[in-house]
Amino acid sequence: MKKSKLEKLDLELYQETLDNGLEVYIVPKENVNGIYATFSTKFGSAYDEFIPNGSKKMIKVPLGVAHFLEHKMFEQKDDVDPFTFYSERGCDANANTSNYKTTYLFSGANSFNDNLNYLLDYVQEPYFTDENVEKEKGIIEQEINMYADEPFFKMYDGIIYNSFINHPIKYPIAGTVKDVYSITKDDLYRCYNTFYHPANMFLIVTGNVDPNEVIELVKINQENKKFDKFEQVKIKEYDEPNKVEKKLEKVSMDIEIPKIGIGYKIDCSKIKKNISDIKTYLSIMLDIKLGNTSKLNEDLHNLNLITHDIDITLINTDKHILIMIMLESNNSDKVLELIGEELKDLSISEEDLDRKKKVRKSNCIYRSDSIYSINNKIMGNIMNYGEIVLDDYKKIDELNIKDMKNIIKNISLDNITTYIIDKA
Amino acid sequence: MKYKKISTYSYNLHIIKTDKFKTITVKVNFKRKLVKDEITSRNMIINMLCDSTLEYPTKRLMSIATENLYDLYYGGMNYISGKYNVMGFDVTFLNEEYTEKGMLDKSIKFLADLVFKPNIEKKSGGIRFKEENFNLAYNLLKDNIISSRENPDSYSKIRCLENMEPNSYISYRSAGYLEDLESLDSKKLYKYYNSILNSDIMDIFVIGNVNERHIKKIIEDNFSNIKTLKKPSESHFIRPKKTRIIPKTVKEKQKINQSKLVLGYKIDKMTDFELRYVLNVYSYILGGGPDSKLFKTVREKNSLCYYISSVGQPLNSILTINAGINKDDFKKALALIKREIYNMKKGKFSNEDIIKAKITYVNSLKELEDNPQSLLSLYAGIEYLNSDDLDTRFMKINKVTAKDVVKLASKIHLDTIYLLEGETNEEK
Repeated sequence: MKKSKLEKLDLELYQETLDNGLEVYIVPKENVNGIYATFSTKFGSAYDEFIPNGSKKMIKVPLGVAHFLEHKMFEQKDDVDPFTFYSERGCDANANTSNYKTTYLFSGANSFNDNLNYLLDYVQEPYFTDENVEKEKGIIEQEINMYADEPFFKMYDGIIYNSFINHPIKYPIAGTVKDVYSITKDDLYRCYNTFYHPANMFLIVTGNVDPNEVIELVKINQENKKFDKFEQVKIKEYDEPNKVEKKLEKVSMDIEIPKIGIGYKIDCSKIKKNISDIKTYLSIMLDIKLGNTSKLNEDLHNLNLITHDIDITLINTDKHILIMIMLESNNSDKVLELIGEELKDLSISEEDLDRKKKVRKSNCIYRSDSIYSINNKIMGNIMNYGEIVLDDYKKIDELNIKDMKNIIKNISLDNITTYIIDKA
Repeated sequence: MKYKKISTYSYNLHIIKTDKFKTITVKVNFKRKLVKDEITSRNMIINMLCDSTLEYPTKRLMSIATENLYDLYYGGMNYISGKYNVMGFDVTFLNEEYTEKGMLDKSIKFLADLVFKPNIEKKSGGIRFKEENFNLAYNLLKDNIISSRENPDSYSKIRCLENMEPNSYISYRSAGYLEDLESLDSKKLYKYYNSILNSDIMDIFVIGNVNERHIKKIIEDNFSNIKTLKKPSESHFIRPKKTRIIPKTVKEKQKINQSKLVLGYKIDKMTDFELRYVLNVYSYILGGGPDSKLFKTVREKNSLCYYISSVGQPLNSILTINAGINKDDFKKALALIKREIYNMKKGKFSNEDIIKAKITYVNSLKELEDNPQSLLSLYAGIEYLNSDDLDTRFMKINKVTAKDVVKLASKIHLDTIYLLEGETNEEK
C-alpha cells in the first residue's frame, strides 16, 4: 500500500490497486468519530451508447438507466435490503448518480467492518427481477416530478438540454418519465455487467479507521469473488458541434419572481491544458466578474435588478465547457444586457487573482476538517485527473495571470443559450 | 473537549475548547419572546447587519474583506424556537496556525463590528440605518417573503401548520410578513435594533482550539458596549393545545406536477422523558428514514412516493408527516399512513425497531461532535432548552421501552390533513 502525504492538510493518503483492478483510497482521520465510505463506478447518465462486455456491437440503452440501476442496487435477494442493514447499525446509507459516475455510500461510527463488507457485497451482487424493476417506476416518476417543480432544477436541465446537440450529457440524469417506463431488467443487467467490474470502480474510505485493517478486509472480500477479465469499455464518441441546439426558450411556472439562465458553450479543444484546469481558470474569472466581490453584482443589486447573488455553475464534456449563469429578476432584458456587456471584456487583474488564490487555499484547509469533503476531494481528483492531487497548495500556486490571459484569448462566448422562466 | 460557561452581568460566554477543528467559530445570539409582528423586523436586522458596516459600507467591500481574512465565513439567522425568537450572527475562520498571527483578533473584531457598528447616518429626525442599504435589505426580504410559495415542499408544511392553529406560535412564518415589512422604515428599524441591544438575552459561543483567557479578553474588549442586563428566560416549550375531534381537511391548488401531502398531529401533554427521548424513538420507527414503516409501506410496497417522512417537534408538541404524491393517490396514501399510525398504537413494531432507533440516535450524537456548527447547536440546546448533556442522553435513550412508545402513540392525534394539489401531470 502506497502512503503519501496530503500536503498542508495534516492528512495521509493510502492507496492500492487490487489484483482485480479495484482502486482503494484511504485517508485516516483520528480525531473524529465518523467514518465515511464511498464505492463508485465510472458509469453515469452520459453513457447511453457503448459496446457491452462480451459483445462486439454498439448498443443504445434508454436514458436514465444509470440512475434506475442505482435505485435497483438496493434490492437484495435475501430480503435484507441495504437500508435495513445500515439502519440496524445506526448508520446512514445512500447513493447518487451524476453524468459520469454512480456512487454508493454509507456513513456512521458503528460496526465499520460489517458495513464495509456489506457495501462491497451488495453493490457486487445485483438482483433484478421483472417485478422489482416494475415497482421502481412509480417511485422514480415521483422523483422526476419533484424536481420538475423546482424552478432552478428545471432551468439547470433546460440550459443543458438546449446547449448540446449530440452528446448525451444533454439529457436529465433520471431521464424522462417516458424513458423510465421503457427500462427493462435486461437493460439493467447489460449496463451492470459492463460497468460494474472492479477495474472500473474505486473505493474511498475517510475517517477514524486503521488503513491496514481496511485494506486487509477489502482484499479478503475481493479474493472470494470471481470476476471476468475486464475489457476497457468502448463508449461511443460524439461529434458535438460548437453551436447550441436552441438559442432561446421561455417557459412559465407557478412562481413569483421570474428566473433567468444563460448558458455559454465553450470549445476547449484548442487549449493545451487539462479541461478541469481550464474550468478552474474560468470559474475564477467568472467569480471575479460576476461574483459577490464584483462591481456588476453590486450594480445589479443597487438597481434592484437582483436581490440574491448570481449562481455560476460549470460542467464539461471532454471537449466543451458549459458555463451556466442563473439568477432571478423581474427585468430579464436589462440583466441580460448588463451581463453581456460585462463579459465583453474578460480580463482580470493580478491582484484579484491572488486574492481568489488565497481563498482557494483557505478552502482546502476548511475542507480537510470534514471526512465528507476529504472523500469528495479524492473522488473529484480521480474523475478529473485520474490521480490524486497530493499538494493542493502547489496546484493553486501554479495558477497564473499568463495562463489566464491565454485561456481568455482562446475562448469564445458567442454560443449562447438563454432560458427564461416567467410567472404563469 | 472542555466546556466552560462564564457569566458576566450582561451575557453568557460559552467556551468549547477542542483541538478537533482547524477553524474557530464564534456566534452571538440574541433572544426574546416571540412576537408575530417582530419577526419581519428581526429578519430585516439580519439583512441590514450582514449587508454592510461603518468600516465596509457595501456588501462588496465586506465580501472582499472576508476574502482577505482567509475566506472568513459570516452569516446571520433568525429562527423560531418554541415561544422564543433567536437571532444569531456567526463567523467561522481558520485558526491562526493555518494563516497568520493577528487573524484571531481581526476576525472577532469583524463580527463585533458587524453587530455593533452598523452602517448608519444622521439625518434630521435622528440616527437611522443608511437609506441605500436599508433598501437593499428591504428588497431582499421582500423577495424572500413572496417567493416562499415557490418551494412547494416547505410551503405546504407552512400551510398545514397555519391551518392547524391559526394565530398561534406554531403558525408563524419565519420569513416574516409583507404587511409588517411595508410598515417599516430605516428609522423605526434602527430603534428596534437598539431595543435588541438593550433588552434581548444574549449568549456568545466560541468553539475551537482557543486559549480560554485570551479569548475571554478579546470578547470583553470587542463586546464591551452591550447595555443589556442578563435576565432569566422562561421555558421555550409550548403547551399542547386541544386536537380537533374531526380532523380538518384542506386542499389548495398550485400549478405543479407533484402534490404535497402534509399531516399535522397534535400530541397530548408529554412528560419530560417523552418529549426528549420517546418521541425521538417513535418518530424514527414511524418515518425517520428509509428503513421506517412509512417509507417501507408507502414508497417501497406501494410505489406512491419518492420521499415520505415524519418529524416530531417536541417544542411544539406536534408531529408532522409529509410526502410528495400523485394527486390521484391522495386517498390511498392517506389510508396507508393512518394504518401505520394505528399500528404504532397497537405496538406493531419489533424490539429490533427500538434498538435501531436507539443506535441511530447515539451514532448521530457521536457524529455531531465532528462538526463545529452542530456542536454549537448542542450547547445552545443545553442553554436554551435545558437539554441533557451527551453522556446523559446516551444513558437515557437506552431506557426507552416498547411500552413507552405505545403509551406515547396513544397521545398522538390527527388534527389537520393538508394537500397542496398539483394541477398538471406529466405525461407518461
